[in-house]
Amino acid sequence: MGKIIKGVILGIVNVVFIWIALYLLSAEAYLVFVLLLLGALLTNLLFIVPKGYPYRYLLPAAFFMILLVVYPIIYTVYISVTNYGTGNILNKEQVIAQLEERYVRDTGSPDFSFSAYRDPQSGLWFLFTDSEGRQMVGHSGELTFVEQGDPLLGQLAGYTELTRVDVAQSLQELQAQSFSYDESRELRMRNINAFNLYEQQYSYDREKDVLLEVQTGTLYTQENGYFQAPDGTRLTPGFRAVIGFDNFRRLFGNPQVTGPFARVFGWTVQWALLSVATTFVVGLFLAILLNDPYLRLRKLYRSLLILPYAIPAFISALIWRGLFNTELGVINQILQATIGSSVRWLQDPLWAKVALVILNLWLGFPYMMIICLGALQSINAEMYEAALVDGATTWQQFCHITMPLLMVSVAPLLVSSFSFNFNNFSVIYLLTAGRPPIVGAQTPAGHTDILISYTYRLAFESGRGTDYGLASAVTLVIFLITGVITFFNFRFTGALEDVSKNV
Amino acid sequence: MKRLSTVFFVLVLALLVSLPVMASVPGELLIWSDGERAPVLREVAKQFVIEYGVTVRIQELPFGDIRDNLAIVAPTGEGPDIIVGAHDWLGQLVTDGLIEPIDIADESQFLASGLEAFTWGGQRYGIPYAIEAIGLIYNKDLAGEDGLATFEEMIELGKELKGEGKYALVMPQPDPYHTFPFFSILGGYVFGMDAEGVLDALDVGLANDGGVEGFELFKYLMDEGIMGRATPYDTMMSLFQSGEAAAMLTGPWAFGDVRSAGVNYGFQQIPSYKGQYGRPFLGAQGFMVSAFSENKMLANLFLNDFVATKETMLAIFEGDPRPTAFLPAADIINEDPDMRGVMESAAEGIPMPAIPAMNAVWTAWSDAIELVINEQSEPRPAIENAVQLIIQTIKDSGY
Repeated sequence: MGKIIKGVILGIVNVVFIWIALYLLSAEAYLVFVLLLLGALLTNLLFIVPKGYPYRYLLPAAFFMILLVVYPIIYTVYISVTNYGTGNILNKEQVIAQLEERYVRDTGSPDFSFSAYRDPQSGLWFLFTDSEGRQMVGHSGELTFVEQGDPLLGQLAGYTELTRVDVAQSLQELQAQSFSYDESRELRMRNINAFNLYEQQYSYDREKDVLLEVQTGTLYTQENGYFQAPDGTRLTPGFRAVIGFDNFRRLFGNPQVTGPFARVFGWTVQWALLSVATTFVVGLFLAILLNDPYLRLRKLYRSLLILPYAIPAFISALIWRGLFNTELGVINQILQATIGSSVRWLQDPLWAKVALVILNLWLGFPYMMIICLGALQSINAEMYEAALVDGATTWQQFCHITMPLLMVSVAPLLVSSFSFNFNNFSVIYLLTAGRPPIVGAQTPAGHTDILISYTYRLAFESGRGTDYGLASAVTLVIFLITGVITFFNFRFTGALEDVSKNV
Repeated sequence: MKRLSTVFFVLVLALLVSLPVMASVPGELLIWSDGERAPVLREVAKQFVIEYGVTVRIQELPFGDIRDNLAIVAPTGEGPDIIVGAHDWLGQLVTDGLIEPIDIADESQFLASGLEAFTWGGQRYGIPYAIEAIGLIYNKDLAGEDGLATFEEMIELGKELKGEGKYALVMPQPDPYHTFPFFSILGGYVFGMDAEGVLDALDVGLANDGGVEGFELFKYLMDEGIMGRATPYDTMMSLFQSGEAAAMLTGPWAFGDVRSAGVNYGFQQIPSYKGQYGRPFLGAQGFMVSAFSENKMLANLFLNDFVATKETMLAIFEGDPRPTAFLPAADIINEDPDMRGVMESAAEGIPMPAIPAMNAVWTAWSDAIELVINEQSEPRPAIENAVQLIIQTIKDSGY
């Protein structure tokens, strides 16, 4: 029975593998295809070879780890050394194909009417009539001028003439037809009713890897993902190309980026620290209250207090933006009614930051409360009894028993919460979007921009359109910064050691 | 061994099941349309099948997602043949190599500004079906039957209304799109144009004398209490609906809300100031053909013979009333006074720049407007600084 189930499961897994593999092949993603094949092979081996048994359980974890963590990181590194972004999203083959297919219509030439014929043996035949009534027969790229009574016309009469409906259904075939008319011009389909004369604009020399503009003879060589003429004119579209460390150079050599970096970085750290501190203090306070067994309706309070955590942050953020509205927001109306003045929440740099911290407090305290509640329950009650016997005050109990023991399990979570808020794009973006703007700013950074929201501005509000290459470069830099900070955080809090000692 | 044979049996079965994935469908059209246009296109598709026996499939996507999805899907060969889109996508789509010029059969049937909006480097890239521009929606009970022809009149009216705690004008703030007429009214522009009609990304004219003077008018209106300050769209709308504002500066998308509030309203073009009319951004929507379509000729046939017809264009209007860019349908559509107003406003319009550099303009420009609204900066330094920043950003991205 077990074997059958195993066989079926493996079968299903293989079905999925093959389905993806075929898709990858048709999309010409060969690298991923090979990786997938290796993965599939490994999976099958582990199931069929008895020695592979223990690794079976590691496999899904490793698979998702590679898929969701390792692969994106590698891909980000790759993108950061390319010019991927608006104007450079196609690959070189696609761009060459597109440029070679570019034909310019001779606007001076009137349309040629046509009838098309199909012969089961020799394929498509055409009879063209130009504006002066001259007739030509076209077949497999060749044109022959014909007079009235030409034997070719008789030959055509023997084939089936395509009706308009037939033409419409064979358009894919017809639009690919071209007949050389004279040295430079070709007769090609213009629309369902007519052909016209076209001239090819570019032709590509595969050996020299250059593009020739047919009419002018200009040679375009490839330069950083574009075909570029000697005078610097670039052809669009450009293609995706590896450009080395240009993105990093642009990042660090650009006063627009380096200028506000210190300020943005400073606020990012403040923001992350304040977020962790406020949510932790409030969360801990509530947890201690709720942990008191004499509190009535504990469960009700606890459920209510978890609610902000259960509501999607996107909705909460938008609601809070309404509450903080300077003219009509409830907060200002209450302030107006009670103390007679109001606060320019989202316009004033300082208050905008306060508003952000308040919002994040609302979003974050239930999480801290939950983990503190859990941690508090794991503290042995005998310790408090012993403290009572020794005559310790409640404050002393808190400082010397609760906090240290709490920190053992909570500290790593505080560190990860710090990292999370360090990159908490959505809250910033939904409430202030980095605003208010800085008076006289020479950079696009606003007062409440953190590193990640600033990255977003650099990447998606650049003069070029979207700039994935630059965005990936900045992401890597932020990744390094967060990595280093997290590392030192763990060091200084000694979190890892403590935990390992207690395990 | 039996176990292995089971596995291989399943493998073979899987192969057979998976094969259809690789097959493409030649000679069929796939259209990506937003929800408003999709039902109309479905009807047109039926006629196309009857006439030519060629299937047209319509896939519905949110309007705003079409551009980004095209960039992801089209290069893999899985994309559509035709998309519905806005003219200001053109710059990105063309420089990305995602759309193909269209051979429009009869250009005289289209409004020149609509065609112009879909032109890039001298080539037509879209068949426009609708145009739009903002204008002045006014409350006839407050601003008079004929509206406000000039900003000078508006200032007079504003001073009277102020006593009653009402505004003469409200508009969404801070919003560069809606604020542009103030910049353009005395000659400010976003990008200058060279002799061949190509936009010059490094010639930003928002802070020229005309632009600054118009921006000062914007500030003056707020300072004098003639125009509401820092009103988001919703606030603007509720002020107008409740009769606390005589006019609002916005576009045809507001008609529904205004009608439902029962305001006795009219729509006119943006008033003049010192004898010159404020020129809004002109937007156009249309159909474009993917560069990766294998059925380009078929797509052209479908668009020229089946979409660019009076019946289809009227049906598109019925589904989502916007002024048409298709002249044979214009007479009927323009009988609607609202639509006529929008058409008049659009006639003064300047196509919103479609070049990718426009990306760099919005935020810095919006910041300048916000600083003036918040009274943290004077108009001239704010916009001059913004222009400097815009040019720097554009230069940095490799122009």
